[in-house]
Amino acid sequence: MLKNDVLIKVDNVSKLYQMGEVTVAALKEVSLDIYQGEFIVILGPSGSGKSTLLNILGGMDLPSEGKVFMEDEDITNYNDKKLTVYRREKVGFVFQFYNLMANLTARENVELATEICKNALNIDDVLGAVGLSDRKDHFPAQLSGGEQQRVAIARAVAKNPYLLLCDEPTGALDFQTGIKILSLLKKINQDFKKTVVIITHNMPIGEMADRVIKVRSGEIIEMKVNDSPIPPERIEW
Amino acid sequence: MKKLDVRLLRMIKNSKGQFISISVMVILALTIYVSFSMVADNLYNTIYNYYDITNFGDVFVEVVRIPKAAIDHLYTIEGIEEAQGRISSDVPLRVADPNEKVRVRVVSLPKESGGINSIYTIYGGEIQEHGKTTAVLQQFFDARGMRLGDKITPYIAGREYPLDIVGVIGSPEYIYLMENEQSLLPAPEKFGVIYVTEDFAQSVFGFQGSYNEVTIKIKDEYLHDIDRIIEDIEEQLDRYGVRRSIKREDHLSHSMLMQEVDSLEVMSTAITLLFLIVAAVIINIMLSRIVKNDRMSIGVMKALGYNNFSILAHYTKFSLLIGLVGSIIGIILSIPLSGAFTNLYIYYFNIPMFEMQVYYIYIVYGILLTSIFCIISGLIGARSVLRILPADSMRPEAPKTGGRIWLEKIKPIWNRISFSWKMVIRNILRNKKRAAFLMLGIALTYGITMVPIFMSSVWGNMFMLHYGEFQTMEYNIDFTKPMNTNVIRELQQLIDVDYIEPKTEIPFELVNGWRKKVVSVIGVPKDTQFYNFTTPTGFRIDIPNSGVILAEGLANILGADIGDEILVKNFMPDIDDKYVEVKGITQQYLGINAYMNQEELNKLMEERGMVTGALLNSKDEVATKLRDIKNIGQVQSVTDMKNSFLEFMDTIIYSMGVMMLFGGILGFAIVYNVTVISISERIMEFSSLRVLGFDKKEIYKMVTRENALITFLGITIGIPLGYGLCVSMVQGLSTELYSIPVIINPNTYAITAISTIFFVIVAQLATMRKIYKLNLLDALKSRMS
Ligand SMILES: Nc1ncnc2c1ncn2[C@@H]1O[C@H](COP(=O)(O)OP(=O)(O)O)[C@@H](O)[C@H]1O
Ligand SMILES: [Mg+2]
Repeated sequence: MLKNDVLIKVDNVSKLYQMGEVTVAALKEVSLDIYQGEFIVILGPSGSGKSTLLNILGGMDLPSEGKVFMEDEDITNYNDKKLTVYRREKVGFVFQFYNLMANLTARENVELATEICKNALNIDDVLGAVGLSDRKDHFPAQLSGGEQQRVAIARAVAKNPYLLLCDEPTGALDFQTGIKILSLLKKINQDFKKTVVIITHNMPIGEMADRVIKVRSGEIIEMKVNDSPIPPERIEW
Repeated sequence: MKKLDVRLLRMIKNSKGQFISISVMVILALTIYVSFSMVADNLYNTIYNYYDITNFGDVFVEVVRIPKAAIDHLYTIEGIEEAQGRISSDVPLRVADPNEKVRVRVVSLPKESGGINSIYTIYGGEIQEHGKTTAVLQQFFDARGMRLGDKITPYIAGREYPLDIVGVIGSPEYIYLMENEQSLLPAPEKFGVIYVTEDFAQSVFGFQGSYNEVTIKIKDEYLHDIDRIIEDIEEQLDRYGVRRSIKREDHLSHSMLMQEVDSLEVMSTAITLLFLIVAAVIINIMLSRIVKNDRMSIGVMKALGYNNFSILAHYTKFSLLIGLVGSIIGIILSIPLSGAFTNLYIYYFNIPMFEMQVYYIYIVYGILLTSIFCIISGLIGARSVLRILPADSMRPEAPKTGGRIWLEKIKPIWNRISFSWKMVIRNILRNKKRAAFLMLGIALTYGITMVPIFMSSVWGNMFMLHYGEFQTMEYNIDFTKPMNTNVIRELQQLIDVDYIEPKTEIPFELVNGWRKKVVSVIGVPKDTQFYNFTTPTGFRIDIPNSGVILAEGLANILGADIGDEILVKNFMPDIDDKYVEVKGITQQYLGINAYMNQEELNKLMEERGMVTGALLNSKDEVATKLRDIKNIGQVQSVTDMKNSFLEFMDTIIYSMGVMMLFGGILGFAIVYNVTVISISERIMEFSSLRVLGFDKKEIYKMVTRENALITFLGITIGIPLGYGLCVSMVQGLSTELYSIPVIINPNTYAITAISTIFFVIVAQLATMRKIYKLNLLDALKSRMS
């Protein structure tokens, strides 16, 4: 692992939400470096600010304070247009509920993402890699949850982003299917050399990570480098 | 194809009912706009071409008697190109049924062919100098079922003159055939025009070497100065007794024609706008709901790196496609339709020629208009796309609060409501916005459907009011010349009358400042039993001892109010014009007149005891008995009026039908779309109910109850809305000759309600399929975007 190769640098980021009279601090002065090619799992209970952090990393949301550097460029200074390009070229998202377009087939869902990217990968290769070559003309409603999530991963990977951000990717899936998705993500991390960030409230998943970051109430309470990550197939919960 | 476009096309496929129903409105809007604009232009062109060919005059002067030399002298007035004398006089025509009153205008033709207002021979030959022949105006000829070679017998100065029909002709003066400004409706079988030689007319009417009408053509470059020229003409002809002079724009046929063509344009523009506005409103609502329900998908698009513009364009293309489909089909339809309609109008107007051109500019305007409407409504509908954040794709929608509704606090009422109705009311009150939008849709439908239903009863009401309440005589008799009051007694000896009143009816030009209008002023006895004058607010007005009562429309034209002094100009050479005070303004739906005490009216003419006709009620055979009586000009019975009214109704029944159809299409489109939108938004909710154990029937029943309640409320709001629309419609349609009463029969409300309910039912049946096809799994997979 190339520890020196920082892909993203999060510097003192806070996110405040004004809810009427009260101010909710979803993130409190969080600092974090993410290295090229890492597989990171962010662990924390529900409401601890994981998604908020992920959204800020992905250029979907801006912090109230602090800076986020992607390869030395401060994305918190980006305007709407630049942020859009950032999301388009640099990051791929995988959502808890897959969020596929219902009236597009699996392949079309992937194409929807790639047709606006410059360096997109070959769609059929990616669909093959996620094991959906023979289901690519099916609509989401004809696919199981795990298959839908694989389409979503293909959609994120095919853009050929620097960074794959997954918000509770197994949250809506049963154990077996969840493991398969995690293996797939690990495979993507290794074969396609993508930096992967997974957030989850599911502790055991941390065992497969290169690094586990625990958050609670908007703060990082622990950061642990995992010297011997176990393969996802051996995770139990 | 771009994947967003693929998605769009599939979206359209899923909502094809809505797509089609909105497209139909756009198609209709564009078709009506393009074809009727072309019809109007083609009509104008045809009419003006006809005028050119027949050399239609610019000024028409009616005089008592004028010798040829005086006409020739008119050329001394600068700007006059041509002046021609003729004889024109209205006489009875003998027809087989002695009860039928038919009148013809006998018009002389100059010896040399051509000239001003030359006739256009449609078939047959020309009238011969020697021998008694005539050419008959086509409308009259057709309406009476005449044939070439038939004899017709005008009754002139106490004698019958049988004439051979040798030709059937058209005339630029009588494209729109009406006897005079007072005739409210065209009745081509009761009044016609026949042309005879000048010699014949001069001899039978006793006009040797002279005429009673001058037709004048003005040089083009002097047309702007026509008013000055008319003044000069009137001055020069003053001693020949100028009865009145009319310029082309005031000419009866011409002005009626122009009114028709103008109103054609106004109506088609109004209908076009109405359709486009309704289409735009539906598009706007539909897209804003789609965008709202697509919130998560939009978040995903943004997360994938689509910018606002592409996403906004994605949704706006929905409406743009509607506009495009509508435009293409509309254009394909409108070109042949404009030809067919032009033809129909030309046939209806009896213009013996046809100019048809395709004006591509209207196609361009039409496409611009529809695209602008569609794009703007699409952008407005989809604009909330901009407010959706990419992070929204991650965040599930906050659950709707299921708190108590205010009605639950009113225990005495709430406790009485059955459980299923409680659920219905809760659903409505918890989704006030959706309920309000369905309710407004239904209200709008009610309003729009009401207008044509109301319009179809308007003419009947107007007729009933005019002949049943405003004036109640059964017969209206005009003498051929002013008579002495004794004539009333003589009439009573001839026929059995229940009640009779003398009348004096004289044309005057009423002038108030710069505004003026030629109308018949009617003098009636102070205690008239036949006229009921009422103020627009319904109060009775009595005939004043002095002063004049104006019809409301006339008062508007003259800008006159009670207390104003208006100048009453007569058409007699030696009698001074006088000022008269306006004492009242009465409602008069058909026609515009002024009314006075009979004796006061006589004073204006410096006469006493003069009558020009009589009003009477009688069960006698009035028309037959008065047939050959000297000095009886015209006998008009309410029954005749009723018949010509019914005939007129026949001719407008189609346009009424078309209006009803349009109202129905609009109404249905609104209700259909709002129902479909509101039900499809709730598919998830229904699926969840299914999961909870409700069966399809129960859900359907619940929806039906909700819709019934909302329909009821919508109709309640729709009633005042419809009333307002009818009032503005009436204001738009009233013309100088008639003002439309806003009387809405209870029937109108009921029929409108029934149609609205019918639309709701049909729309709901269409959505029933969706409920019955509900897939239980949809509820579970509900997070799919
Ligand atoms: N748009 C928002 N408005 C207000 N509060 C928010 C918003 N998004 C998140 N929050 C709050 O911020 C905190 C962290 O939320 P989130 O990052 O979604 O947590 P997690 O993903 O760890 O469950 C929570 O308390 C949440 O209620
Ligand atoms: Mg979260």
